[in-house]
This record gives sequence, structure tokens and C-alpha cells, in this order.
Amino acid sequence: MGNRVNVIGVGMVKFQKPGASDEYNVMASNAARAALADAGVAYSDIEQAYAGYVYGDSTCGQRAIYELGLTGIPVFNVNNNCSTGSTALFLARQAIEGGLAQCVLVVGFEQMEKGALGAKYNDRTNPLEWQADLMNRVQGFAQAPPAAQMFGGAGREYRWKHGTKRETFAKISQKARKHASKNPYALFTEQLSVEEIMAAPEVFDPLTRYQCCPPTCGAAAAVLASDDFVKRHGLKSPVYIAAQAMTTDFRTSFEEDSMIKMVGYDMAEAAARQAYERAGLGPKDVQVVELHDCFTANELLTYEALGLCGPGEAERFIWDEGNTYGGAVVTNPSGGLLSKGHPLGATGLAQCTELVWQLRGQAEQRQVEGARVALQHNLGLGGACVVTIYRRD
Amino acid sequence: MASEVRYDGKVAIITGAGNGLGRSHALLLASRGARVVVNDLGGDTRGGGKSSAAADAVVEQIRAAGGQAVANYDSVEDGAKIVQTAIDAFGRVDIVVNNAGILRDVTFAKMTDDDWSIIQRVHMLGAFRVTHAAWPYMRDQGYGRIIMTASAAGIYGNFGQANYAAAKLGLVGFASTLALEGKKRGVHVNTIAPIAGSRMTESVMPKELIDALKPELVSPLVAWLCHESCDETGGLFELGGGFYSKLRWERSEGVTFRLGRDVSVEALRDRWRQVVDFGRSQHPAEITAALQPVVANVQAGPSRGGNEFIDVDLALGHQSAPVSSAYTEHDLALYALGIGAAQDPLNNRELRHVYELHRDGFVPFPSYAVIPGVNAVLDHAKDGQLAPGLNFGLDRLLHGEQYTELYRPLPRSARLTHTIKVKDIFDKGKHATIVFAITSVDERGEPLMYNELTALIRGAGGWGGDRGPTGESNVPPDRAPDAVVTEQIHPNQALLYRLSGDWNPLHADPGFAAAFGFPRPILHGLCTFGYAARAVLGHAEGDPQKFKSIKVRFAESVFPGETLVTEIWKESPTRVVFRARVKERDKVVISNAAIELFDQIPSAAPAPKPAAAAASTPAAAPVTAQSAEPNSTDVFTAIGQHLAANPELAKKVNTVFQFKLTGPDSAYTIDLKQNNVSPGTAASAECTLEITDADFMAMCAGKANAQELYFGGKLKITGNVMASQKLNFLSKLDPKLVLAAAKARAGAGSAAQPAPAADAASVSEASAEPISADIFTAMGAYLEANPELAKKVNVVYLFKLSGPDGAWTVDLKQNKVSPGTDAPAECTLELSDADFIGMCAGKLNPQELYFGGKLKISGNLMASQKLTFLQKIEPARVLAAAKARVAGGAAAPAAAPAAAPPAARIGAAEVITALRRRLADNPNLGGEVGAIIQLTVRAPDSAWHAVLTAERAEVHEGQADGPQVTLLLAEDDLLALARGEASPAQLFQFGKLRVDGDLKIAHRLGFLHKLI
Repeated sequence: MGNRVNVIGVGMVKFQKPGASDEYNVMASNAARAALADAGVAYSDIEQAYAGYVYGDSTCGQRAIYELGLTGIPVFNVNNNCSTGSTALFLARQAIEGGLAQCVLVVGFEQMEKGALGAKYNDRTNPLEWQADLMNRVQGFAQAPPAAQMFGGAGREYRWKHGTKRETFAKISQKARKHASKNPYALFTEQLSVEEIMAAPEVFDPLTRYQCCPPTCGAAAAVLASDDFVKRHGLKSPVYIAAQAMTTDFRTSFEEDSMIKMVGYDMAEAAARQAYERAGLGPKDVQVVELHDCFTANELLTYEALGLCGPGEAERFIWDEGNTYGGAVVTNPSGGLLSKGHPLGATGLAQCTELVWQLRGQAEQRQVEGARVALQHNLGLGGACVVTIYRRD
Repeated sequence: MASEVRYDGKVAIITGAGNGLGRSHALLLASRGARVVVNDLGGDTRGGGKSSAAADAVVEQIRAAGGQAVANYDSVEDGAKIVQTAIDAFGRVDIVVNNAGILRDVTFAKMTDDDWSIIQRVHMLGAFRVTHAAWPYMRDQGYGRIIMTASAAGIYGNFGQANYAAAKLGLVGFASTLALEGKKRGVHVNTIAPIAGSRMTESVMPKELIDALKPELVSPLVAWLCHESCDETGGLFELGGGFYSKLRWERSEGVTFRLGRDVSVEALRDRWRQVVDFGRSQHPAEITAALQPVVANVQAGPSRGGNEFIDVDLALGHQSAPVSSAYTEHDLALYALGIGAAQDPLNNRELRHVYELHRDGFVPFPSYAVIPGVNAVLDHAKDGQLAPGLNFGLDRLLHGEQYTELYRPLPRSARLTHTIKVKDIFDKGKHATIVFAITSVDERGEPLMYNELTALIRGAGGWGGDRGPTGESNVPPDRAPDAVVTEQIHPNQALLYRLSGDWNPLHADPGFAAAFGFPRPILHGLCTFGYAARAVLGHAEGDPQKFKSIKVRFAESVFPGETLVTEIWKESPTRVVFRARVKERDKVVISNAAIELFDQIPSAAPAPKPAAAAASTPAAAPVTAQSAEPNSTDVFTAIGQHLAANPELAKKVNTVFQFKLTGPDSAYTIDLKQNNVSPGTAASAECTLEITDADFMAMCAGKANAQELYFGGKLKITGNVMASQKLNFLSKLDPKLVLAAAKARAGAGSAAQPAPAADAASVSEASAEPISADIFTAMGAYLEANPELAKKVNVVYLFKLSGPDGAWTVDLKQNKVSPGTDAPAECTLELSDADFIGMCAGKLNPQELYFGGKLKISGNLMASQKLTFLQKIEPARVLAAAKARVAGGAAAPAAAPAAAPPAARIGAAEVITALRRRLADNPNLGGEVGAIIQLTVRAPDSAWHAVLTAERAEVHEGQADGPQVTLLLAEDDLLALARGEASPAQLFQFGKLRVDGDLKIAHRLGFLHKLI
């Protein structure tokens, strides 16, 4: 094991609809300033910076971070689809843990367009070609956003296997809206009933519109530091990363004609298993989770992948409200991607921000009582999955 | 007590009723309304003396209690007199309880003739006489109940009672036969073996036991067996002291020697444990059941022979328990190295077999298909579990021949399950051969490969059995080979090859090889096999994915280090014959060998079949040049206008689409980068769509969905499939734009319209179109040419055709086809002329016609299954008959169809009809499903509901009240389900089956599978 990695500062901006936000460089630098202020360190203390975003030309990271100062430090631009933010976090964590730096900045941001995600480059091999081939084989292409077809198809497969009701998926969205109603940073703060969610237009059975995360603009940032740095700066009892694991696709993603596996179930399960092992903890030790609910179907699958409930038990877990305040664990207290929004590059760091606040007891109305261990799950098709376990002693 | 068991109106004879059991029976029956003849000779227990006192006392006691009884003092040997007493006193007899008996216990050594015969007389002859005298009365009145009294001594034996035991068990056989003879006349005969304390047993049992064995505990069973509501007959009951039970025979499964095999004393001795083993047993209740093993042995036919090494009867056809194995790229690469692949590491083609990260893709070398199956056999052989009846050591076994077939290219890894069957056993004289057939299925249960391993068992032949096929196959043609591949086998090759699973030390250990007479370890036959396969696939056919099968005979051993010369003859595009020689010794080592290739490589993962798509018939071409009916040109014109008016659309989609239309053929490019629509093709196209003109029109009119066309195989997309998603703007096209374009075109008028589809068929050709008469003519000729067919089918069919009407008799007994209804038909088929023609042309399926109500079959329904020969009639014969008819000037019937008949439409109703039939045939099906299911069908719409419960199994039209689940799907998809072309899970995943309510019930839709 290397050096312990502490998250000494976090910050984010309120997430907005496309068109309503500041430009990426403004959002990102504002989030970074907030994180630096939260940590109580100056930009001149930052030795390296990691900037995550998906849409935008090269070196957007520099353009955003230059607004904080021009100190000539290394800046890395990171792109890993929806798991971009936590991939940047993963690299930054490695730098500290390996003793290569004492204090680094991670920032994630996204300035998105309206409408569903789609390919930008049609003159070359689509990176999701294998996923698309599998989907075409298993369920064909429909006139619906491809991501909704993929995760919705995984939902179909799960439903067929376990006889799950459509309302069960809607119930996840209802919980997300309820949580988001207490989060001033979230995009959608209006609560919705299961009936309203069910009555929304169907995007791809079983998903209705309110079960798909919206295109969002936003930014979030974190400052990571070593124990030495923490001691030198007299920082008290910071949140630290107890374990972090990242996986990419296994053969099972493509060889079993399973939509569930294709959308990253095995990546998530393996990343979680590795993280639990490294932290010496299990799902029962976790009080609060931010997980990748890009679609309700994926939140349901992720409960099982993370071991929050047993295989096939997600439906009961949801209706028993084991996933919210008063239950075994609170998932997505921030409102998650569904309600807080999903600016691709920012999501991983917004999850981190929420969990640091939760562990510090600073989450105000959405505080999870007695939160000591927090788990973050961030997934991207293409693919990558990062699971991070945070603790505060 | 719900109802008292009574015997009012019945007359019972109880023999030996003065004391003990008999007295107890008499008192009980009398107390419940029976009129009783109390018979007792009044003698002692050894048969001495005579007195009326005992019987009289019992009669007195019955009468005192208000019952009716008369006494009789005759010996049972005078049975007729006893019965006569009943007739005289009461006028009938319903019940006979043969109870009288005596004892003459003496050890066998001291037993006298008198001891023996008096026992037989009283027990056996007495029971016979009384029963025989009562029998006619019972038969005539159609009712009777008879009890024999046997004893545990008869069943188990008892010291000092040889005479008594013999008589008692004799009664059991006596009763069993009477039960059979009396059954139809309502006469039931049962036997009891009571353990009761009575005068006869006082001398041998302790008092406590005798006290427990009261006669009163025996009589209730006797009374019940004698009641009219008791169905028992032929039974044997053991009882006493409060215990009641029934006895039956148990027989060990035993051993059966097939007829024709010598059964030696030694063979019986050796299998004695099996003869006496009750681990598996039977309980034959009647003589036919007892005979069953013998009948089965006769039916199994004569023994197929064998000897001490091979018992053909036991081994042939034996199928092993499934065994599992798995392989990965590692195994594939190791195997490929083992058969000498990539000795030149820069040989790109061979590198693909050993390098899993190869940039052109890793290609499993196909002859690896031999390894999992053969390893499964080796594993079983090592465990001695190949098959029962194979009793030779592995040292006798040589690999004689090998056949390996792949059903599709090998995946890079698989988990397999193998079953091994002993397919053939041949007696080659001195040696024997055994053919093991190994079928291997993948994780999904799909067969992946098939192997036949022919093992030569040295010195194990000679039982005079089947010698098997003798002809030579895959003999090289008499010409120089088309290719010769010479390759030296590396001296350490066997050491490398053995890592693929054949660990026989013969291939590695010099000392071991020497013990078997080889100068050094020999190469595995299958390694040579792999070298040869590589040589053939490398030279005759570049694509190893095309490999379908390989068959070889191993003629001679090969030593590592020798040079293998593979001679190749390419006999056809899909068949290559080859032979392999060792250059140094000029010996043929592999002979009679061939590799077969796939014409088309079967797909790795069989995609769900699209719902049955009828052959697309393009919409009629515009009839007149003036028509303003829009065509595809108009649509593209409108698209151009639409894009010009909405430039942001092009910016958003930003793709170059190529449309290739057929029937009529045309090509258009929609360039959303340049925002430009033009006829012709473009090199820059990113996404190409191929579709018929008619379907394209339907798609743009919003009548057909691109997705459905795609899955119906009507729309082919190449290039960037994802980009095709962006085509939905087509359905947003304003129809007015299209119409305007069409008007503009029609108005221009000058453009020559394509000529309406030529009325191609000339009149004379049209009349040479076959009609049903031609088919029957052809059928006659076909049957004449194939006389064995008539012999095989041997049925007289009558075809009654309608529209135009006609009748034909196809007599496959006389081998004659004639018009009219000549011979008495066994099977009559009624259908339309058009459907008949369609059926014979193989376009329509008799079964579908039948379930669609379009074919009516009367008479022998099964015989209609033999009609498949109709489809074997060569079309040329039918055409020839049609031509002959036209040439001969015979007028074609006016109503003869001018075109192919319309295909019979099968719809939801036909599926439901077939379902009802299935439910009627399978009464348990309802209970297995156990749900009320609503079936809502679209396009065309219909609604059905199925009530499938253990009590009811019905299907009705319309909506169900409170169904547990509602299934919504298109009729085409319902048909696909019913045809077994799609599974419910697939349709659900495709979004073609919508399920509301309890989704788990949809897992039980198996009742729809293969309905039609």
C-alpha cells in the first residue's frame, strides 16, 4: 500500500439545463475555486491537475484551469465517457498514493447539447460498435436514444428473468426526485409520484421519460492530498479514500448476448468486489452510496452488482425502501444523475463532493445520520467502471 | 360411525364354526343381519370324534341375540350337504367362509401317510367341496364372497407342520385362480392368514400371546371382505392381535440373458448376486405381469453376440452420463502448436491460430474439434466407465478411424457437455471395432461438434457378428494430386502435442514404447491428423473457418522427426480427398481421408429468426403515364426540398446516406454534409440502405417502420448502422411536398414512364402451366418408376378437389393413379385444386392446410402422414405432363388457375384452433400453466383469452375477466411463436411482446411452442 489519499476539499456549481449554464471554463474554474477554498489551500500549492470532460476540443482542461493561474504545472485532459470524472479522480489518487505528488486538483465539467447522446464522429469506427452489434443481435435497433435502448434493454432482460413490475423502475425515480428536492445543486427539485412517472411518455419500454437522466451542464472539483501535506497544513480529520478500483469490459460483456452484462454489470461487480477487498469492508458497512443512475434500470442492476441487496432481490429492496432514509443504506441522496443531472465529465466529481459532505456531516437537510463509510459507483459505456470507498475516522 | 356395515338378506356358511375363529365369524355376521349356517363336525382338533354340541351352542347363542342361524354337523368333505342346508333353510347362499381345519403336527421324519392325507382332505378337499357346491348358486345370482383360511405356516413354513403348511399355501393358489374365474360374476375370493389363539394353538404359545390373539380381532376383516361394498378379490391378508395387512409377491429384477446366448452354469453363478438382489424389484400382481421379462426378452430379439471382451448386447447403444469440459484460447493455441502450426512465426496465416491478440483476429484451428470429444472418451476409458460390456484393457485399443464435424466455426472459448454413445460394434474376425459417437453441446445446449471415434480392439473379434461396412470410401482419384505438401515433423512434436490431453506414455516414454515393440515413442495419430488437416486447409482452401468435417483412417504409426507428405485432390468446391505418407519409409499413414467444407459459413450465434415474412410483392407499378401517383423519385425530390427548407437538420444529422432501391432499381444519395439529394451513388456514403422501391415508399408514408423492415430482412443496412437511426426525419416529410413533386412530374409529361410490367407469359405458355391433372399424371409415372414406394405406403387415397372440382384415386396397393373414385379409399382428402397444386409444389404444408381448415381428412388420418412422397415428384415430370397435355390439344379446364394459388393464410384463429387441439390432447397442460392469460393480437387485431387451470383448460375469443397477465403482440409474432421460430424471451427483449401483469407467467408460454 502507498500513501493514504485524503480528499481535503470539494466543490461544485449548480447543475443547469443545456443553454442555461455558463460556459465550460467558467463552470469548471468556479467549481475548482470552491474546492480550493473548501480545502483552505492556494492554487500555488497544486502540483498537478486532472481535468475530465467528454465533449469539446482538446485542451479544454488547460483553458478552464488557466483561469485559476498560470503556474506551468502538468494538466491532464481525461475522457472516459460517463465515467470520465472518476477516471480523473483515479489518476489523481494514483499520483498521491504512489508518492509522486503531495497535492493535486481534479476537476470535471461538461457543457452539453440538448437531446439524447449520440455519436459525434461518423467517419470512423464507432467505439460502441461491439455494444451496438450485441444489441442489434439481441433486441434490434429501435427509434429511441441508443443509451436508453441499451439500459432499457438490460431492464427488459431483468424483468423477464425476475418478473419485475414496470412500477418498480418508476419507484426509483420517485425516490431520486424526493432526495433531489432537498439538494440546492440539483437540476430537478420538483417531486413526482410513481403514477406521474409511469404516465410520462415511454422512451423505451420499460423506461418512461422521467426515468432517463437529462442532458446537463455543470462542473465539480476535488483537491486530493497526502497525509504529509495534511499534517503540514494542520488539516483536521479529513475524508480519505479507503479503496478505489477501476475495471473495463470483460469478455462476458460481449459473449453472453446479455444486455445486463453489456451495460457493465460485471464491470461494476468486479470493481465493487476489488474495492471492498482493499478496504476490508463489505456492503453492510456502507451507510451512503452515490451510484450511476443514468437510467432507473441501471440503478436497479447496480444494487445487486454492489451487493446492496442479493441477486433478484432488487424489487423487494426498492419497495421496502431499503434505499432511502430509514433503510439499510441511502442511495443517491443528492438525487443522482436522474434528478441532479448528468454532465458527463462532472458526474464522478459531483458524486465525490456529495459523499465528502455526507461524511463530514455537512449535507444539511439530506444528511444521512451516522455516515462513516461512503461508496461511489461511476460507470461509462465503452467502457469503464470506477468504484471508490471513502471513510472519515 | 357414518353407516353400519350390515349383511341383511345375505346367507353365510361358516365351516368349523363351533369354536374359535369360526364361531367368532358366525356371531359377528349374524349380529349384523346375516342368516348363518353354523357348520361343525364336533370333533377334536386332531380330527377325531363327532358331536353336535358345538354347532348347536353357537346357533343357540345367535338366536338368543335375535339372529337367524341353523346348525349343520357334516364334514366339510361332504360340502354339498352343508350348502344344501343353507338352500333348504334360507333358499340361497352368499358367503362361504372356509374355516374348518385340524392339525397333525409331527416332524417330517415321523410323518405317516395318514398324517399327510387327512390334513389334505380336511383343508384342501374340504374347501374345494364346500366352495364347489356353493359356486353354481353364486355364479347364477351374480354375487358371492368366499374366504379361504391359510396360515403363516404355509407362507413361511413352520417346524413340524409340513403337511399343514403344504395344504395352507395350496389354498392361496386355489383362491387366486377362483378370484380370476369369479370376477366377472361378482364372486370375490380372498384368503386370510390369521394368527389367532384358538384350540389349535393353545398347545404351542404362551398364554399372554394367546390372550392377545383373540378370534374377535380376526373376524372384522373376514366380515369386511365378505361385504358387498368391498372390492377386494384375489388378496392374501395377514392379521391377528390387532394387526391387519396385505401380502403380495416381490420378485428381484433378476438377470436376463438375451435369447441365442449360451447360458452356462458359470454365467449364472457369476451373476448370482444380481439374481437375488432385491435392490430393484417388481411386484407382479398377475400372471401376465409375471411373464413380462420373458416377453421383453423375446421382443428384444436374438442376442447380437459377443465374447469375454465385448458383450454387444450390453454395450451397443449405451449412452454415457454427460461429461463437461471447457477450452479457452490457451488450449486452442497450444493445440495449434502441437500440430506444427506457426513454425514460421512470421507466417501471418498460421500466426492467427496461435496468437490470441492477432490484429486480424484469432482463428481457432478447426480440427481442434476432435480434442474435447476424444478427451471425454479417454477420461471415461481411464475410469473404466466407457460402457457396460466392454471388458478389454486399453492396451488392446488402437485408434482406427476418426470423423469430426463442426456445426459452425469454433468459438474462442466454450464450456461443453459431451455425451458418448456406442454407435456400432463390428466383428472384424480377429479384431473388433467399436464406433463411439460423441456429441458436444455448448453452454446454451446448441450442438457445436460431433465426433466418431472408431477404435480397433485387437484380438477381440470372432463371435460371428456383423462385420460392418467393408467398402472403401474417400479413395483418391486416379490422377496426380492437385497439391502435395511436404513438411517435416519436429522431433519433439509428440511432447508438445500430448499437452492437449492425450497423456499416453507411448508417445513420450522411450522405455514404455520399447515395451510395446517400438524403437522409440511414436507420434499421436491425431497429431498426424492435425498436420494433414493443416496441409489441406492451407492449400486447398484458404479459409479455415469453412471447415465442416474431416474423416481419416489411421493406417500406420509415425515417428516424430519423419517427413509427412500430404497429397491433396480437390474433388469439388466443398470436398477435398487426401492421403498422407511418411517420406522416409514411403508408407501411407493416413488413408481414405477427406475434408468437407461449408459452402457458406454458418453464423456463430444464430440470431432469432424474424417473424415469417411473406415474399415481398412490390406495389403495382403505375398504370398510366399520366398518373400522379407518387413514386420514389418524388419522395427524393421532396426530401431535397425538405432539407433545403430545414438546413439545421443536415447539420444535426451530418451523414451521407446511400439508398439502393430495387424493383424498379434506382440509387439516390442523401448527403447531409453538403445538404444535397441527388440520384446515383456516392463514394463518400457512410450508411447504405438497400430496400425495395415499394417498401421505401411505405416507409416514407409512415406505413412501414424502418425497424420492422430491417428485422423482416427487407431493409439491409451496411456501414454505420447507428447512423440509420437518424433517418426518422423521413417519416416527418410533408406528404404535400411528395404529392406536389408527383404532380410536377406528371405535368411535365415528357418523361417516359417505364412500360407497365410486360404481360410476359404468352397464351400458349400460360396454358402449359401445370394443373392438378398433370400432377396426377406425373404421380402415376413417378409411382411406376418407384414401385417400392407403393409397397411401403400401401394405402388407397381419394383426393376430392374443388374449384374446379375433380376426384382422383391414388391406389398404392395396386400402384395405380386414376380419375374418379374407383377403389374403396382408406383415406380421403378434400381440398381446393389450388391448395393441392401448392401442396405438391412444396409451397404449402399439408399440416398447415389441415389446421387452417383448408384440408379435410377423413378415414385413416395417420395415413395422410405418408403423403410426403408428393413433394418428391420431380417438377420436371409435372411440366412434361403439362406440355404433353397442351401438345395433345387437350383443352385446359376453363377454371384452371392461371397463376400460382394464393398461399393459404394462417392467422391467430388457426393458432387458437391448434391450441384447443393441444389442450384436448394434453389434459394436464392447463394445470401446468395455471393462469388466466389474455392474448391481445394486433395486425390484424383479435383478442383471445385462455383459462388454463387444473380444472379448466379453455380458450375463448374476447376479453377475460381479471386476467393474471395480458400479452400484446402482432399476429406475425404470434405465428412465429407458434411455429417455434421465436421464443417468448426473444420477442420480449425485442419489444415485440408486451407483457402486463404477472410477467413470470410469460415464462410458461411453452404451450404455444410448435403449435403449427
